[in-house]
Amino acid sequence: MSDYGHDLLFGAFLTPTAERPHQAVDLAVVADRAGLDLATFQDHPYQPRFHDTWTLLSYAAARTERIHLSGNVLNLPLRPPAVLARSHASLDLLSGGRIELGLGAGGFWDAIEAMGVRRLSPGESVAALEEGIEVIREIWAADKAGPVRVDGQHYRVHGAKRGPAPAHDIRIWVGAYKPRMLRLAGRAADGILPSLAYLPGGADDLAALNEHVDAGAVAAGRDPRAVRRLLNVSGRFAPTGTSFLDGPAEQWAEDLAGLALEHGVSAFILATDDAATIERYAAEVAPATRELVAAERSARS
Amino acid sequence: MNVRFGVLLTPGIEAPEAVVELARTAEALGYDLVMVPDRPYEPGLLDAWTLLSWVAARTERIRLAPGVLELPLRDPAALARAAAGLDLLSAGRLELALGAGSAWDAIEAMGARRLGADQAVAALGEAIDIVRGVLDAGEPRPLRHLGEHYRIPQVQRGPLPAHRIPVWVGGHEPELLRLAGREAGGWVATLAELPPDGFAAAGKLVDEAAREAGREPAEVRRIVVVGPDADPSALRTLAAEERVDTFVISTDDAAVLRRFAADLRDLPAAVPVVVRPASVRAKRRAGIDYDSVPPSLADTAVEPGDLEYARVRSTYLRGGAPGLVLRPRTVAEVVDALAFVRAHPHLPFGVRSGGHGISGRSTNDGGIVLSVAALNSVEVLDRDRRLVRVGPGARWTDVAAALLPYGWALSSGDYGGVGVGGLATAGGVGWLAREHGLTIDHLRAVEMVLADGSVVRASERENAELFWGVRGAGGNFGVVTSFEFQVDEVGDVGFAQLVVGADDPAELLVRWGAAIEASPRDVSGQLIMGRPRPGRPHVAQLMAVVDAREPETIIERLRPLASVGPLYDQNVVLIPYAGVMANAADGYHQGQGEPVSRSGLIEHLTPEVARAAADLLAGGAVHWFQIRTVGGAVSDVPPDATAYAHRSANFSLVVMGSVERRLDAAWAGMAGHVEGLYLNFETGTGPDKVAAAFPPATLARLRELKRRYDPGTLFRDNFTVDPQEETR
Repeated sequence: MSDYGHDLLFGAFLTPTAERPHQAVDLAVVADRAGLDLATFQDHPYQPRFHDTWTLLSYAAARTERIHLSGNVLNLPLRPPAVLARSHASLDLLSGGRIELGLGAGGFWDAIEAMGVRRLSPGESVAALEEGIEVIREIWAADKAGPVRVDGQHYRVHGAKRGPAPAHDIRIWVGAYKPRMLRLAGRAADGILPSLAYLPGGADDLAALNEHVDAGAVAAGRDPRAVRRLLNVSGRFAPTGTSFLDGPAEQWAEDLAGLALEHGVSAFILATDDAATIERYAAEVAPATRELVAAERSARS
Repeated sequence: MNVRFGVLLTPGIEAPEAVVELARTAEALGYDLVMVPDRPYEPGLLDAWTLLSWVAARTERIRLAPGVLELPLRDPAALARAAAGLDLLSAGRLELALGAGSAWDAIEAMGARRLGADQAVAALGEAIDIVRGVLDAGEPRPLRHLGEHYRIPQVQRGPLPAHRIPVWVGGHEPELLRLAGREAGGWVATLAELPPDGFAAAGKLVDEAAREAGREPAEVRRIVVVGPDADPSALRTLAAEERVDTFVISTDDAAVLRRFAADLRDLPAAVPVVVRPASVRAKRRAGIDYDSVPPSLADTAVEPGDLEYARVRSTYLRGGAPGLVLRPRTVAEVVDALAFVRAHPHLPFGVRSGGHGISGRSTNDGGIVLSVAALNSVEVLDRDRRLVRVGPGARWTDVAAALLPYGWALSSGDYGGVGVGGLATAGGVGWLAREHGLTIDHLRAVEMVLADGSVVRASERENAELFWGVRGAGGNFGVVTSFEFQVDEVGDVGFAQLVVGADDPAELLVRWGAAIEASPRDVSGQLIMGRPRPGRPHVAQLMAVVDAREPETIIERLRPLASVGPLYDQNVVLIPYAGVMANAADGYHQGQGEPVSRSGLIEHLTPEVARAAADLLAGGAVHWFQIRTVGGAVSDVPPDATAYAHRSANFSLVVMGSVERRLDAAWAGMAGHVEGLYLNFETGTGPDKVAAAFPPATLARLRELKRRYDPGTLFRDNFTVDPQEETR
């Protein structure tokens, strides 16, 4: 049982469909007005039915006021890290500090390779991600002396200028499932962002995920609490409860509070493209979950 | 055409909001373009693409361009996708300016490989091919590019941008100028970086390269970046003598923008910019006088070489290759479009609203299509009388969604992607038909453009005979530009989808028909069957809408329908009518080939009719068999009240096949059991179909109307009533 004590975040995981060009933007506006904390977008640059996620995210940021936005997660092999760092810093400045960086090592290698990028082995892609994170953090470190110098196997940045510094401390959340990637997240990232649907054992797998992240953090001399545990979830509102996140809002709150208290998940990002579901999630599920978790935390302490 | 003006911002990181505000000021001052420099290695500047996307969301009209993109730090395929997306989000306002790379030390420090000047231009040439290739989403094969600088094994094309994004090239190196002449839609020069008189020499190189490549020099726009202290008279000279068509003022000072706007407003361009390059004009079809497309329509018209052609060539079920698609946005533009059509009497001519129809012909091969998709407004005229005005280009899902907040609905076919125009001029057999009648029964008035270009209103009081004809044969008399409907109060409805066994299709049809006829009018629906497949149970899908709010009533109404055969599956939901209609697919139509269907109206599903229908299905020539319910309120309207006259039918049958000859042979057994047909479900053409759609008395009236309103048969491809032929 682990609870890292983070405040809870609730977000939407939106499909960046290009066929209705404004759908995802409109849903981000709905999420913003409904009071969700995060609007996040898938990133599959090889998929022509989708928007370029960065363009969409920038546009949506300009149409929203309060909500934070991030890729979920951005495909590093198809997005050079130095450019990624500057574009995130730029948008963070434009949006008044509302941008976070969800980052992945690349999942669909056939499609990535077809775009002209060399295929990496799982081990190589972990190393590349670590180098990418280093490049990004170095670019953001505008006040450090001297130019950026990262001499990696996959990314070499020799003498690039530092900056701009983002408006706020942009969090790097890594899409991670396997031990090596989880340990890397523990060492170098601010959070992990897996999807519940991709965990073969479901929520039970979260304990093992946490162990790897914690081990990575401790080995690097970090407090495991420095790494937020985010989770993409999907569900359905129904009058009577049948299974996990399939039932009324009160049951959702209990399900999510369980994940928070049991496995330390502190950000629940709901995959949906339905405005009414987003509104209900924000209005009914988020406050009830927060209440349950707060009550249990104070009881424990 | 006037010279265009733009502003080149300096997007400093210190005051991002001020940068955005300046772009908005430029827009308010009437500037045409905002450019954002791309220097990804320069930490003092905001990232160009990010800022451009942000500005797109905060502006409405002004065009957007990165100026110019440092290509070595951008992946061309990813750039193309991003460009298409930004173009879609900004409703077609993006222009792309690409550079071969300038600050090579800084580029290299960012991790990119340094290239020599000629190599860099060669790489840019490849990148342009890749960008254009990815944007060309109408091309079905994936893009493959195995060049010296870029190797892309296979990338999917698309998304299709909102317009043909111009690709410009920026710089002054001779090789680059030659590339601009050969390939680009524009050349971006920075005056301060050229020696005095350097512009003319550089421009000459561009023109020569264009001519060598078989292009007209005017195909290459000339975009010139000037400083805030540029002398207006020098700019006038550049416009007049050097064909500069766009000046971009590099400034961060709104006062400078105001001054230029005042000094140089309405500066005429020396030569009109060639909108469509030779490569596009090469795909033009014979017999169309493209150069005389009315100016009001030229910008939005689409021809075969245009990128947007993929979006407009085909309809829902029919592949097409029209020579020209005109897309009027106003009634006046419809008038202009019809004038152009009148000058092309020999060509196929289709009028398209939603492009969903299987009958009529809203696409063609080599002809003209008039698409009214842009006339898609839905507005409430009179709340007390529930009177609404709807444009012909609206889709029924949009109409249903717009009426939902009022608690209203208009029965309108069963699929939300269908356009208003094609349905509301023919009939409209929908989910509320038995209770509320056909869509045309709700029509109170139309405004339409007639064949001669005159705009008239028709209702029971004005042009009453025309109004009669529009309600069932509207496509014969003009292009309706707005419909006024009186709609109904409709709350949530029960929507049922049932699957029942159909091992004996004839028996099922008889039982279902009897159940429907015995049902109160608040029940409407349909039955769908496919061809029987060996080894699998034969089933029918039954769908029904029950206009009732109480679950008990809905269940009571559905019980007789659910017991017409063994029930295999059921799904019943209580949703708004708009929810039932929210079933339209996204994206544009990509129909292929030519659908084949036959329509017939049926009074009762007697054992004889059902036997014939079952034989038809068993024959194998039919792969889609669907019966919709009419009757009820539809039959309350006298046959002579509208041009849709077959009012006594209770059922409307449509079958689809693959081969017309086979389908007709199979249909022969059914033909004796149907009484007339509904135009919108019939793909057959010719006088016999027209005669089957309209009883003799109706047809005689329609001929008279045709003689009066369209004696030259301008409207010729949608069940034309021959004005001369006598009623048989």
